[in-house]
Amino acid sequence: MLLELTAIQKNFGGVAALRDGNMSVAAGEVHLLMGENGAGKSTLMKIVAGMIQPDGGEILWRGKAVRFRNPADAAAQGIAMVHQESLLAPHLSVAENIFLGREERLRFGWVKRQSMMERAARIIEAHGFPLRAEWKVERLSPAGKQMVEICRAIQQGSSLLIFDEPTSSLSEAETVEVFRIVETLRQRDVGVIYITHRLEELRHLGDRVTVLRDGATVHAGPLAALTTDQLIHLMVGREVSAIYERQPGTAGEPLLEVAGLSRKGVLEDIGVTVRAGEIVGLAGLVGAGRTELCRALFGLDAMDAGTVKVCGKAVRIRSPREAVRAGLALIPEDRQHAGLATSLPILHNLTLAHLDSVSRFGFLRAGAERSLAREYTERLRIKASSPRQIAGRLSGGNQQKIVIAKWLVRGAKVFLFDEPTRGIDVGAKAEVFAVMDTLARSGAGILMVSSELPELLQVADRIVVMRQGRITGELPRHATQQEVMRLAAFDRTPAEAVERPQ
Amino acid sequence: MIQRLLPFFTLIALIVGLAIATPNFLTVSNLSSVVRQTAVINIMALGMTLVIISGGIDLSVGSILAIGGLAGTMYLANGGAIAAGILIGTLAGAACGAANGLMISGLKINPFIVTLGTMGIFRGLALIVSNGLPVHDLPARFGYLGEGNLLHVPLVLWVLLVCGLAMHVVLEHTRLGRYAFAMGSNAEAAVYAGVPVSFHTVAVYAIAGLLTGLAGMIEASRLMTGQPTSGQGYELQAIAAVVIGGGSLRGGEGSVVGTLIGAFIMGLLANGSDLLGTNPYWQQVVIGSAIIIAVTVDEFRKRRRPR
Repeated sequence: MLLELTAIQKNFGGVAALRDGNMSVAAGEVHLLMGENGAGKSTLMKIVAGMIQPDGGEILWRGKAVRFRNPADAAAQGIAMVHQESLLAPHLSVAENIFLGREERLRFGWVKRQSMMERAARIIEAHGFPLRAEWKVERLSPAGKQMVEICRAIQQGSSLLIFDEPTSSLSEAETVEVFRIVETLRQRDVGVIYITHRLEELRHLGDRVTVLRDGATVHAGPLAALTTDQLIHLMVGREVSAIYERQPGTAGEPLLEVAGLSRKGVLEDIGVTVRAGEIVGLAGLVGAGRTELCRALFGLDAMDAGTVKVCGKAVRIRSPREAVRAGLALIPEDRQHAGLATSLPILHNLTLAHLDSVSRFGFLRAGAERSLAREYTERLRIKASSPRQIAGRLSGGNQQKIVIAKWLVRGAKVFLFDEPTRGIDVGAKAEVFAVMDTLARSGAGILMVSSELPELLQVADRIVVMRQGRITGELPRHATQQEVMRLAAFDRTPAEAVERPQ
Repeated sequence: MIQRLLPFFTLIALIVGLAIATPNFLTVSNLSSVVRQTAVINIMALGMTLVIISGGIDLSVGSILAIGGLAGTMYLANGGAIAAGILIGTLAGAACGAANGLMISGLKINPFIVTLGTMGIFRGLALIVSNGLPVHDLPARFGYLGEGNLLHVPLVLWVLLVCGLAMHVVLEHTRLGRYAFAMGSNAEAAVYAGVPVSFHTVAVYAIAGLLTGLAGMIEASRLMTGQPTSGQGYELQAIAAVVIGGGSLRGGEGSVVGTLIGAFIMGLLANGSDLLGTNPYWQQVVIGSAIIIAVTVDEFRKRRRPR
């Protein structure tokens, strides 16, 4: 065995993040680590990577008991982690990032630039990555950044690589690329630990699986022996269907009508209509302009041409404030960043978009605000000890619900959901879909962007597909993934797919 | 919780310690003088609390203090009514603050940079309008603002309490306060929620300027002159008071009570070392250390939260 973890424990300020973490990984295997958010997956992996220290338990590395005091310790032993959020220096080049902290140095701290560039280029070439050593990292797509992290791990001669949800921010094509890399690593006898939420991508990849629940290992064994439903059951500890079946409602009046919307170089002649009670799925590859469309509709980016009608009335939206006034709501992709004030209580987040309703002459009416908050935490079943709890300390699914509840409080008519299920676990996903369904049934119109096609096909009433800033087609509810991919399929070179369009 | 209350306990310990160490501490005259000496910084720190909560910073308040004091005293020196003079000084401060806010929201430039610039600009303007000379010949009754008593208590303490209470209400019970917290906690989330961010940025800096203008009039009243060079370095003391009191320079955190405790801790450290006859040079070392200790303790408290 390459790595054996026994009874690992870790507490954060009295809260047990890990009670009994057990896991063993062999060289040349791809080992999946699964569990709901908060199950302790990331904590366990941070311990392996030396980023945090365990409070109890034993780590055996190649059969010997070890203790990693910091990431450099773990790296020296051959353990590297590819992070969910990129930990690269964006202003430096690909090569500089690959060698960051282990530059070849001459006397007086001078760095051997030329030889570093050449060595980086060799690593990139050996793995066939569509990268160039001199590119600035900030220009890379999420997939490109992950490739840089992988190159760095390879350069360090790592024999165990940890991937923390590598595909959560990648498009389908990029996901395939990551799978290929993992496969290559396996062939080179590298041990791979792979954390994921996406059930559908498991089968291609994993040899064995370890499932964590509430900080303890509940299952470890070969992946082939488990059905998907069994896996979900192990993770959640209760019955949840893997497939969310939505019964479509009846579409009513058009709530959002967009015609001829263009933004130079980004969006071209977009026309789309969302009716009351309808969930319209927006499919496409990363960079197809889906997020950009949401941003333009919400007044975050200016549109060069086009008309927008909300509830039949033509509106001019030049700022988020005007969008909110018109009845639009955006639940952004990057929840922590743009959706939630994480250091503030739940209560403050809930009423942020609609303080006018609970204030008089600029003074807040505490009673009215509290009862409003109570109503919506119950309606959306937000799990919290009190509305005064700090929003950032809740689980991803509950945070997502707060962002949605904020707009329900505001009484928005049209909801733009940008990747609503990214990074949340199966249990919470089902609840988010249920909320979207309730929204639609209560007469709201929903435009939903998602890179997870199976989800989109289950939830949406119809699918609009985008490619390179244009709408390339529309498909009915029971379309197949192949049909969608044909319309979305990328006809760019791999290098263009990795480099972000301006 | 105990760590949260640490600044408060520190203040109590300081008071008890000084009361035991020197008989001169717990006297009416000494305590009044502490209140008078610290009132100017305290009132400025109230405005700074709002600015820091909203995720900003205002380095120009020292210069605004001088402009406010000058505007009011120049009016008084020309025979104006005292109340009107105080109002003019206060509003001049508000105007400067609004100018800061307009530049920050309009030019979309980091508040540190904008107020670093206006720190110089406002100071220069103060020197230009006054020709670099202090304003004298103020009506004797103007001294009542800084040195007078009301109900046997320094008038400035009443002013501070009223301002502190008002700021507390603004922060906890008004839309403006709530938006300030939201902007400081997550500026982008505030934009997405449709918060009129530009307007409230201007309002936040204008209020800070307003309080600084008032503090400028108190400073002028205590010195009985309008000094174009007054208030230099005050901005850092005001920021320190907020930070010792638990405000976060990352925004979204802070409170009036915390700031006042922080300001009084600094005031007592200075007063205590005066009374105990310590070398005044050491005062600066002590206060500087207090800032670092306070923030370190606060950071440890936050880091221990589960992630």
